[in-house]
Amino acid sequence: MIAPDWFREDRLPHIYCTGCGNGTVLNCTLAAVEEMGWERSETAFISGIGCSSRAPGYILADSLHTTHGRALAFATGVKMAKPDLNVVVFTGDGDLAAIGGNHFIHACRRNVDMTVVCMNNQIYGMTGGQGSPTTPLGAISTTTPYGASEPAFDLAELAVAAGANYVARWTSYHVKELTRAVTTGMQTPGLAFIEVRTQCPTNYGRHNKLRSVPAMIEHLRSHAMLVEKRDRLAREGRPIPEGTFTVGELVRRNRPAMGVKQ
Amino acid sequence: MKLVIDESRCKGCNLCVLVCPYGIFREGTELNSRGVVSPVLDRPERCTNCRLQALYGRMLCGVCHMICPDQAIAWVEERPFEPHRVEVEF
Repeated sequence: MIAPDWFREDRLPHIYCTGCGNGTVLNCTLAAVEEMGWERSETAFISGIGCSSRAPGYILADSLHTTHGRALAFATGVKMAKPDLNVVVFTGDGDLAAIGGNHFIHACRRNVDMTVVCMNNQIYGMTGGQGSPTTPLGAISTTTPYGASEPAFDLAELAVAAGANYVARWTSYHVKELTRAVTTGMQTPGLAFIEVRTQCPTNYGRHNKLRSVPAMIEHLRSHAMLVEKRDRLAREGRPIPEGTFTVGELVRRNRPAMGVKQ
Repeated sequence: MKLVIDESRCKGCNLCVLVCPYGIFREGTELNSRGVVSPVLDRPERCTNCRLQALYGRMLCGVCHMICPDQAIAWVEERPFEPHRVEVEF
């Protein structure tokens, strides 16, 4: 166990399916929290609704399990009422991009000082595998049985455009890099957005010829491309392979932030 | 230090089999009491963290520990004079 002081051991094993990446993201976030040396009484974990949003229930600290999509709105309220708290938001793609899309862009615009960890499994996992705004083009889900026909949201680029101070994207395979990214996000004043592509073997992989957990992880690993490599390919005028997504630190800047600890 | 898999937490996803650079975790074949096929350890004394964690005073590789979604992998202190299976590789 990665951070034994921060886990509610009596709640384990958690409800996530076999091979779900959310447990890995929880490990990495708690490792980052431990590295930051935060006090338990000064930290609040906030989440909305979904598989990913069950995560604060396994953490031994104050947490808010709020309404669907409104995690960022509640987190903004917490931060405004008590700017001394360290606020970490766990959210999923259905929570953040679909129903909470407006809260997301406005939290990025206001640059509220918190860390948002988005576990993007590209599907509504908890409710039975309906297509979400991040389901890639052509993917089979229960609401898109002939393949998704709508282009997907790129959440990290959306956060960059909306004005977050730190934006990074990793996958649940890149555990060390993810921990480093979350730590950097926690150190940066202003909104830090870390998108984590996770595997959902039960509701995404099963319908998309990635039934086993190693197959899904291999798919994530082989389709991840470092930002530096993408930039190099673009500079040299070489084609960027189809279906890849960029990983790495997308932006780190110093825009005026709101609710920073004095 | 000794590498152990907590059978009461492991759900048998075999992610540790995928990431271990030494190939210590092997896919299991037998169901345990919870009906889960959890991985088996192949010569766990080869793990760098088992041997050198105390010397360096920090976690060395620890990728399996980090990626395990069920928090089932841990290193525990060995009891004194615990029997080891020593295997000589030629």
